[in-house]
Order: sequence, then C-alpha cells, then structure tokens
Amino acid sequence: MFIYDKKLEYPVRIRRPNPRLAAMIITQYGGPDGELGASLRYLSQRYSMPFDDQRALLTDIGTEELGHLEMIGAIVHQLTRNLKTKDIENSMLAPYFVDHTVGVYPAAASGFPYTAASMEVKGDPIADLTEDLAAEGAPAQEQPTVGALLRRL
Amino acid sequence: MEQQKDGRCGLGHLPSPAPMAYPYVPYQRENPPKYEARKGLVRGTLFPGLDLPFMGMVNRQEKPVTPKTELQALGFAVQELTLYLDTHPGDREALELLRSYQRLYRQCQAEYAEKYGPLNNTDGTNAREYRWLDDPWPWEFAANKEA
Repeated sequence: MFIYDKKLEYPVRIRRPNPRLAAMIITQYGGPDGELGASLRYLSQRYSMPFDDQRALLTDIGTEELGHLEMIGAIVHQLTRNLKTKDIENSMLAPYFVDHTVGVYPAAASGFPYTAASMEVKGDPIADLTEDLAAEGAPAQEQPTVGALLRRL
Repeated sequence: MEQQKDGRCGLGHLPSPAPMAYPYVPYQRENPPKYEARKGLVRGTLFPGLDLPFMGMVNRQEKPVTPKTELQALGFAVQELTLYLDTHPGDREALELLRSYQRLYRQCQAEYAEKYGPLNNTDGTNAREYRWLDDPWPWEFAANKEA
C-alpha cells in the first residue's frame, strides 16, 4: 500500500523556465535510466529476493524512487512554465511539444516512450542485483553528459 | 608476451602479465558519522562517508527554515536511516537516532497539517472544510517558496 504525502522530497523552485533543458531532463522521468524505470525495477525485483534485508531495501529504495519521479516531474513542469511560441519554435522541446504540449509524459530525451524493455527482473538475486548496479551506474554517465551539453549548446 | 602494433596482446587488450581485475567494494561500517538533518537534506545523504560531490559541485547552502523544509529535512533523515538500518539492523545507536527523528517528524507533521492542511489522508485536522484540495500542489513553483 502506498500513501501520498503532499510534499516533495526536496524543494524544486525554478525561477527561469528553459525548454531546452526540459527536453533533456524528461529522460530522467521516462527514459531508459529514469526514475520510473528505477522504481519499477526495485519494486518488481523484491518479490523474488530471498533475504529480508534485500526485500526491505528494494521496497524502501523503490518507494523513494517514486519520490524522485515526482521531483523530476516538478522540474519539467516548472521548466516549461509560461512559455511563449517563440521559446518553443526554436528549441529542442518542439518535437515533444507537438505530441504532449507541456504535459509531463514519460519518455526518453530521444522521444521514445517509457518502456520496461530497458529494465530486467530475472527472479535470480545475483542477476537482479548486478542489473541494479549497472542501472545505478548509468546516471553517473548520463548526468555529466547533460551538464556538458548544457554548457556547449 | 610481445605487444602487437595495435596494442593488443594475445586475446585481450592488456599485456599477458596483467592480472584479472580485483573489485574493492567498501562496506558502510557500523556507527558511521552522520550529518545533522538539515545539512543531510542539501547534501543528498545523511552520511559524510557517502557524500560524493556531483561534478565537483557542493551544495553548501542549507534551505531557509520553514515548516515545510523542516518536514523535508526530518523526512529525509528518517528515510536515510531506514535505508541504513535495512542493511545494518544491529546498530543500536542508529536505531535510537531513527526513533528520535521519527518522533520529531510526527510532531512536525501534526503542526504542519493543522496550519497548512493535511499532508496525507491519515491526517485529521480541526478545520471545518475539506482542505486536501488546497493549492498549491507540491510541484508548483509557488509551493516551493523559500520564505
């Protein structure tokens, strides 16, 4: 059972909207290494975990990832506040905007909709934990990439 | 083994005397140092030993004290200690700390609900109206005011 707390895990307050950044950050919402995938991965792997500490950890981390999902949603939402047509026309957000306007849709930065094909649940603790290590390593690559792109674009 | 022109040697890319990789995975020890809750919130971890700055950037600015950031800081400390205790259930000191943060959180949540409306659907308040609908919702800019 899940109960919704009407607060973010960490405050999100974005003064200056930025459609270009929104077009990249959306991947952390519904992309292959995003928070939706993370929470589904952990919350689904826990059923076949043989030890209590693993079951607890996957439950507690998977739940926290849902809180992260909400923060990313808030970031995308605030980055696309009060946009004018010209802000969208010439930005990377334009293709996304055609399909979703400023709704927050779980998709990768490439536009590919969220797919569970980017995660794995094997029912084998070693296979699943190894998958988790790989998944936790991915953002370590992805986040600096976004950072570097932002500086260059 | 002599190295070939393309840098390859034998079947791999390293010279044959190169050993297999040894991974070193440090375990988080019992009774690790902890940040105070408000600092933990802005550092993204309650444990200095796990505090890895992102691209060299360190968030030193603590959030201004408001009822909501107080709740967020205490909630984060509770979350962090829970994850720690999942894998270190024998650490009595951490368990005591978790319990004290839980007490503070409950206190803070009750005061928050009375003032700003329910935080979740188990909160009963003395308000006459149904306050769950009250703006702003957490994802709005206005809900994250700093003062």
